[in-house]
Amino acid sequence: MDRKEFLKQVAAWSAGACFVPLLRVDPLSAEEKPPGQSTLAVAKGKDYEALVSKVLEPLGGIKAFVKPGARVVVKPNIGWDRKPELAGNTHPDVVKAVVNLALGAGAKQVLVFDRSVDDVRRCYASSGIQAAVEAIKDQRVQCVFCDQKKYVPVDIQKAKSLLKFEFYKDALETDCDCYINVPIAKHHSLAKLTLGLKNAMGVIGGNRGEIHKSIHQRVAEINLVVRPKLTIMDATRILVRGGPSGGNPANVKVLDTLVASADVVAVDAYSTSFFEMKPADIGSIAAAQELGLGESDLSKIKVIQA
Amino acid sequence: MREGAGGGVFRNESSLKRFLWIPWRWWRRTVQLALLVLFVWLFRRTEYAGADTLPGGENLFFRLDPLVGAAAMLAGRCVIAAFWPALGLLLLTLVFGRFFCGWICPLGTLLDAFSFLISGFRFSIAGRSRREAQIKNRKSKIENYIPRVGRYILLSLCLLGAAMAFPLVGFVDPFALLVRALTFWADPKFFQTADNLLSASGRASGDPVRQFFVHHLLPFRANVFQLAGVSAAILAAIFALELVARRFWCRYLCPLGALLGLTGRLPLVRRVPVRVCKDCGVCAHDCPMGAVNAAAGFSPESCNLCMDCVDNCPRKIVKFTVAQASSLRVAPLDVSRRKFLVAAAAGAAVPAVAHASRLSGQNPTDPSLLRPPGAGEGKSAIELFVRPGLSSPPYPSQGAEKRFLELCIRCGLCMKVCPTNVLQPSILHAGLEGMFSPRMAHRFVFEQSYCEYNCNLCGQVCPTGAIPRLSVEQKQKLPLGKAYFDHNLCLPWAKKTPCIRCEEVCPLPDKAIQVPNSYTVKGDDGQDLEIQEPVVDRELCIGCGICEANCPLEGQAGIRVRRVDAPDPKTEFLHE
Repeated sequence: MDRKEFLKQVAAWSAGACFVPLLRVDPLSAEEKPPGQSTLAVAKGKDYEALVSKVLEPLGGIKAFVKPGARVVVKPNIGWDRKPELAGNTHPDVVKAVVNLALGAGAKQVLVFDRSVDDVRRCYASSGIQAAVEAIKDQRVQCVFCDQKKYVPVDIQKAKSLLKFEFYKDALETDCDCYINVPIAKHHSLAKLTLGLKNAMGVIGGNRGEIHKSIHQRVAEINLVVRPKLTIMDATRILVRGGPSGGNPANVKVLDTLVASADVVAVDAYSTSFFEMKPADIGSIAAAQELGLGESDLSKIKVIQA
Repeated sequence: MREGAGGGVFRNESSLKRFLWIPWRWWRRTVQLALLVLFVWLFRRTEYAGADTLPGGENLFFRLDPLVGAAAMLAGRCVIAAFWPALGLLLLTLVFGRFFCGWICPLGTLLDAFSFLISGFRFSIAGRSRREAQIKNRKSKIENYIPRVGRYILLSLCLLGAAMAFPLVGFVDPFALLVRALTFWADPKFFQTADNLLSASGRASGDPVRQFFVHHLLPFRANVFQLAGVSAAILAAIFALELVARRFWCRYLCPLGALLGLTGRLPLVRRVPVRVCKDCGVCAHDCPMGAVNAAAGFSPESCNLCMDCVDNCPRKIVKFTVAQASSLRVAPLDVSRRKFLVAAAAGAAVPAVAHASRLSGQNPTDPSLLRPPGAGEGKSAIELFVRPGLSSPPYPSQGAEKRFLELCIRCGLCMKVCPTNVLQPSILHAGLEGMFSPRMAHRFVFEQSYCEYNCNLCGQVCPTGAIPRLSVEQKQKLPLGKAYFDHNLCLPWAKKTPCIRCEEVCPLPDKAIQVPNSYTVKGDDGQDLEIQEPVVDRELCIGCGICEANCPLEGQAGIRVRRVDAPDPKTEFLHE
């Protein structure tokens, strides 16, 4: 590039950096959420890639969520250095299918990332997700490592416990038209279970240990900022003990199931049944209901077997 | 003129051959450049890149290095099979002399390149032009004053120190110095500079130029290391000495050069003529190693076979050829016998003095000094054709620490390859002689620095087996330490605040942190808070430190890893 272009770039970046602290994301209030039943689809099968399409059918297919030209974020759980069969991360076939569907629906750009706990390169490799996404060979999709420079502070309106936190810019509504949440259902000693609401911890910055000080309330509150359009729960195999990192194959239970809904709270509420628990057992589900993030009463959720 | 006489072994009288003649320096520079590229490529490959096992060969240059090999074997009192390339090098040195220094050594190549750049600034050696040197035929002024005995002192420091189990080779070996300076200082700086430039250029992460840099040239991140400045300064000093004389380090200081020089003292292939022509002296002036002396003649222990004298001889009478019985004797060793003995004594004195003056490591070892998994516990017997593994029965920990320091040559490769940047060079943690040896610094980078559960890369690259090459399964069962809760800091224990992030991140399939007890308190906002009290099951704990690295406290962690042989902290501030 020439000097003029370089100076232009520097000016643009500096100007952008100045405006970062002023960024504010207003979460949807309880009133804005459409009242009435949340619709939830459940599907069971061995071919996980095909299963994703099957579970989205009753919800209107991927085109109900991804519009042509959309900037999409597919947010799986890639937190742990574990191979797929150990149920530490989202299954790579599920992630691959979601990405392919999004591309097919005409997405302009698809980003796949997570903020790992173990070494990020090992997590991306061992989970099989990086290889699965890179095998797609489409210029529009990228499996990226998180860039430290992209975390921005956000004031969380309506939060009681967590007033302000850092969030990954690419996942916010200003930069992302369709955020697809693809968690895996696992046991978790502190939170009891880690499901769709807790998966949002993969897009927060800073010292994540802060969330643990009041985990149920704070997990719900970060979901005031991170608003998935679609949540697909990976229950193809779940971790019933020793979560969230796993490592003992004896703790893995194969269910070959996917659960999907536009309502992340409904997905979490339904998924508690896999662990022989009830939605009321999980603090974050109750807190999320109270914040108006979704419906946790199973009797009020419309469940469709796909 | 006799047939065959001329500029070298290939030359003959044919005019066609004369036309095609390529000066030696072009062969040499090509080989030097190729090997420098190989060195950098191997360095770049010493990193996690998606595969659990590295391709191999990353420690090649260290295994070629007879100085570190001899020091490690003397100090460890064992034979290390991995150093067979060094043995091969010694055999070749018996034939060709100190060719390694002129053709292979990457530090030598870098010094030559740097020398070329600064040749205009060099303090005038003889203060005279080549023409004058031809006429006056005198030794350079500088050479009159700098003693050659320095490199023999350093060599003796390494070898006799090693024999006394006081390993100092890491302070003066050229490859260790080079790799440490690159790992601790140059590579992170390179990443930061390139990353800033790429960001400023506005290139998106998918851009091909950016991808090329990221995949082939840059490390994954700018790792952070202690002693970065010191390591860089030492290397900078070696380069700065080029301002005084060409190849200053090689001539006057390099102990590896001294060892190769002594081995190649009477090589099979040597220079003829041995004496310098009285009315010329160009070769004496031009020799970068000062191996040709107008008075004493040719010194093979200093000659690095650069062949500059062959290329530059105005009469084309210098050549390197197999020594004949009739060839004249070479110059005597460039230090007198007395100086040599003084050098040996001086080299031996340093370890003896250091031992006596208690600059050496503490005994018992500091309980927070942690080493890489299996450090010092490798096999001690002759390892020919046997894969390195754990010794059995295992060394007791104090013995393992001692053995580790004996075998470790402070090369820095483990610290380069470690994916979590947890391995840091010891400063004075193990005494002065332990400096630059790797230690576990859990939490050095918050959330990032701990021993990754499924990784065994450090053992794969260690050239001496100071860190034994363990399988991942072996490493996962070998404690490098044990974790203890600090009940004065840990949130559930000290502050009735829920946490247990440590339990969450513990990688063991059956977690080593358990929560047998919990109780309920009212939180600030009136909500019920469940307080779970974490405890360490030290039968299971392997001391990986991921708990310590992820503990959300500011400053010191509420759970910390101590040596396996550390005394029971019940009597100190730590509990259980």
